[in-house]
Amino acid sequence: MSPGPGDGAAAVADIASVRRRHRLILLGLLGLLVLTFFLAVFTGYTGPIAPVSGDRLSFGEAFQGLFGHTSNSVFFWDIRVPRILFAGIVGAALACAGTAMQAIFRNSMADPFIIGVSSGAAVGAVCASVLGFGAFLGSLASPLFAFFSALVTVLVVYSLGVVKGRVYVDTVLLSGVAVAAFLGAVVSFIIYYAGERYDRLIPWLLGSFADARWSYVEAAALPVVAGALVVYLYGRDLNAILMGEETAYNLGTDPDQLKKVMLGVAALITSAAVAFVGIVGFVGLIVPHMMRLLVGADHRILVPASTLFGATFLIAADAVARTAVIGEELPVGIITALCGGPFFLYLLRRNRIRGEAK
Amino acid sequence: MSGDKQRAVVWNLWTLVAVAITALASVTAGYYIGASGHTENGTQVSYSIDWDESGNITKLTVTDDYGRAVALNGVPKKIVSVSPTPTEILFAVGAGDLVVGVDEYSDYPAEAANRTKVGSFTLNIEAIVGLDPDLIVSSDLVPQQQLDQLVELGYPYFIFATRNFEGVLKDIRMAGVLTWHIAEADALASSLEARMNAVAQKTLALGVTKPRTYVEYYPYYTYGPGSFGDDLIRLAGGMNVGHNLTSEYPTATSEFVVASDPQIIVYAVGPLSTTNATEIASRPGWDTISAVRNMQIYSIDENILSRYGPRIVDCLEQLAEILHPELFG
Amino acid sequence: MKAQIKSLSFSFGEKRILKDISLDISDGEFIGLMGPNGSGKTTLLRCLMDYLPSEKGAILIDMKPVHTLSPAEIARIFAVVPQSSNTDFPFTCYDIVMMGRMPHIKSRLSGETAKDAKAVREAMERTDTWRFSGRLFSELSGGERQRVIIARAIAQSPKAMLLDEPTVYLDISGQLEVMDLVKKLNQENGITIVAVLHEVNLAAKYCDRIALLNDGRLEAIGAPQDVLTPETIKSVYGVDVVVRKDPFTKAVYVMPRSTTAPVHRHGTRVHLLCGGGSGGPIMRLLHDGGYGISAGVLNVLDSDYENANDLHIPVAAEIPFSQISQEAHAENLRLIDESPAIVVCPFPVGPGNFRNLEAARHALDSGKRVLIVRPATGQGIDFVGGKADSTIKELISSGAIEVPEEQQLLSQLSEIGR
Repeated sequence: MSPGPGDGAAAVADIASVRRRHRLILLGLLGLLVLTFFLAVFTGYTGPIAPVSGDRLSFGEAFQGLFGHTSNSVFFWDIRVPRILFAGIVGAALACAGTAMQAIFRNSMADPFIIGVSSGAAVGAVCASVLGFGAFLGSLASPLFAFFSALVTVLVVYSLGVVKGRVYVDTVLLSGVAVAAFLGAVVSFIIYYAGERYDRLIPWLLGSFADARWSYVEAAALPVVAGALVVYLYGRDLNAILMGEETAYNLGTDPDQLKKVMLGVAALITSAAVAFVGIVGFVGLIVPHMMRLLVGADHRILVPASTLFGATFLIAADAVARTAVIGEELPVGIITALCGGPFFLYLLRRNRIRGEAK
Repeated sequence: MSGDKQRAVVWNLWTLVAVAITALASVTAGYYIGASGHTENGTQVSYSIDWDESGNITKLTVTDDYGRAVALNGVPKKIVSVSPTPTEILFAVGAGDLVVGVDEYSDYPAEAANRTKVGSFTLNIEAIVGLDPDLIVSSDLVPQQQLDQLVELGYPYFIFATRNFEGVLKDIRMAGVLTWHIAEADALASSLEARMNAVAQKTLALGVTKPRTYVEYYPYYTYGPGSFGDDLIRLAGGMNVGHNLTSEYPTATSEFVVASDPQIIVYAVGPLSTTNATEIASRPGWDTISAVRNMQIYSIDENILSRYGPRIVDCLEQLAEILHPELFG
Repeated sequence: MKAQIKSLSFSFGEKRILKDISLDISDGEFIGLMGPNGSGKTTLLRCLMDYLPSEKGAILIDMKPVHTLSPAEIARIFAVVPQSSNTDFPFTCYDIVMMGRMPHIKSRLSGETAKDAKAVREAMERTDTWRFSGRLFSELSGGERQRVIIARAIAQSPKAMLLDEPTVYLDISGQLEVMDLVKKLNQENGITIVAVLHEVNLAAKYCDRIALLNDGRLEAIGAPQDVLTPETIKSVYGVDVVVRKDPFTKAVYVMPRSTTAPVHRHGTRVHLLCGGGSGGPIMRLLHDGGYGISAGVLNVLDSDYENANDLHIPVAAEIPFSQISQEAHAENLRLIDESPAIVVCPFPVGPGNFRNLEAARHALDSGKRVLIVRPATGQGIDFVGGKADSTIKELISSGAIEVPEEQQLLSQLSEIGR
């Protein structure tokens, strides 16, 4: 299969132009994020960008509300901006963690939840909201419990896959599946036992930014930014480990240390994301995929690309979730699943066609 | 791109589009159609009776709120209720001694809580069979599949599922016919109707300003157009901000509530709820709402808010008092 | 890079993989590690770069114990080329080769410099893979991918290269490409090469020294011609081979012997009058048929002489470029007397070996069964002006049996046994 003159795949054989293009794409993604941010800021029940005409703000009023100090400022600074920022933080966290997990597990179907974060967080959240654990903490109870139970769960899943200091990712993956199933049953039992109506927990289980506020942004921003930075700095190591653990060792990386660091960081930023808003699916799975199609597999470019696009994607999805039905909330997980599901099918089919063509 | 690849790409795009449309349609449909089943409106109870020579009832057929004509071999002597609302109604018409089994949530009146328990969301079929009732009464919240199971075992069920106040009065009369406590049922219905009218006369009178009202039965969960709660607020003399939404039982966005600027906020409390006035005031942007600034945040027992039996009138009166202290103080 | 392996032992759980191996690798040499499957070759390689911790013994790299070196330091000394590499992820070939620069990029905070880009480019041009630089690694063929991996190893600027059966999945042109490239790196850049090779002749051709492992022990070590002897190979691999010297390269090459060993050797003796290679196939045929064989008269440079020696056949030998001497002829006749059957192979008859036909005459006169195998059509064997052809005709008319094809020999001979 040597490159021929008319071979479409060989068209971009010039590496310099390939890399230049990738850098431009990165810049473009940043621009897209900023654009999406501003569009989202202007989107909402009161407009100016809203599904139906009626009692909406004009763009002038919106500008004044955003940059000035009018009665409309509350819509922007109290409600939309913190929610959009938080959606961006969560999207960035999930996409970044997803990229790292796909590299560590050498499996492009991995997502940040396979290590048990989602099921662990669910247990914590349900204990707080349904059984009333930590009621004295008020609205912070659920996120705090969710965060810590997520971390504990990851620790358990991880230690099941460690033998004498060496991390066996296949075992970690399988134990993640087993633990998730077990904890899922625990969650169902708690809900049943407490008599809570299951449908009231669906928004959390599907992910919802309904209650997002500045305190969430403040709590999550630092861990997520720090975590994403760490993942970026380990970009070359992630490249190496994708070629196999022995190869990674041959290239000077310690594969076990890498796995531990990445699992820890992913657990941290995913738990921080999930604790407040529930389980937002598909972002951590499909954003790295899409970005790989765009910029290739070099993680020094892929990680920032995924992080930027994850933020953009979730900001956009949340904007749809809070305006699609006028004045009402749709769980954002539905929107991400609607986008993610078909895209996933498309990816599977594309891989099948590629496989057959070989 | 080769012909095969072209076709493949086109196929993929169509798959994408088809799946996306289907998914979007079903979600939207689910939202707009709502979850409740079909209920019969109208205030007249539809029934027929067969007597024998001695004046005993040999066959009693009553149409329930789903429009089903349920035929019984006489007045039931043992009834199992699997929802709290029918339980309350039965006891209220004086038929409480006919009730032999109730679900976990039937806690009112106090005697009801002493009956044999037959399950919560999942019915304990064995327990029901063990009691060998003549009739099972339920609301519309019990899964159809479990009721069908009981029918197969030979136990008929009767649905109480009303969506407005007239329906409540009808349900009470229905319970009266079913248990042959017609006089008591009529008396109760009449007194409830009188109380409702007493409220409505004041709240719906000309010149009474309706305050903008936001009622939530769970954080952000409010009453949309066509729901019982919407009617409740109207009769209590309020203007439900949720009336402008689309779904019957919507989850409101913060922006919507802030933009609607309710003058009065009412939230439901129960054993599992964590909401309180401080929590509501801390929601993003809610501190600008008139109701919050003026400390017009009130609570109502979630059981009288969401059980559409005799106590809904208690709820109406409480709500009217909250919305119009000047009329009911 | 020079390495000293002293009394190295390694076990995997209960199983002992390496048993007390001591081996020195000199700077700049090309050493091959060989041995049957499971003999520990790959394990030795892994211990050498400290991917597996040695249980007993010591490994010194440039005089330093290997376990004191950090993974980054080890990566700057050793570059590894595994059997095969591939990935599902869309790495370009450039990405793959740039990974080789990782041990030289000291800080996580810094990116790749112009120096790294230059090293990558040079490595890829050397392996003729620069034209793949923008293409996806997964789209290349096996041989092309191995070249890219070698480019990565070159870009790593190592002191030594460890190769683990690098030619296993390659066709013959791929094999030669890779081995020539590696040899060049060894000779031009002085990079020490330690290669696990399964292809015996490849190892013989390219390695300065070969270390032969068997069941975790170092069985033999030395130059290819010293290590690859039929005896050593038989004891390690359990296979009968023949070792020759390649006339062009002087390298030894190993050929497996026929594996169709006769079940029952009846040992009936057959004497072959042959030479010039005519006897080789017939020797094989009869050997596989269970016959005992002798041959003569053959000069010691004749290929049939080598064939006879391989089979340990008694031979009446003569020095080259001379007439068959009286002693040789007598020996020939003696061997004929010991055999009930004589086969005259289609050997080229010249003045020097005409006496072999006289020996055939003698055999016929003594009442032996004489079988004459005709040469292939068109092949003339008479170089004595017609005397050979006429003698053969005469032999046939006197009772020698003409056998048109070698294969029919066996059926003809079987009648003798009865």
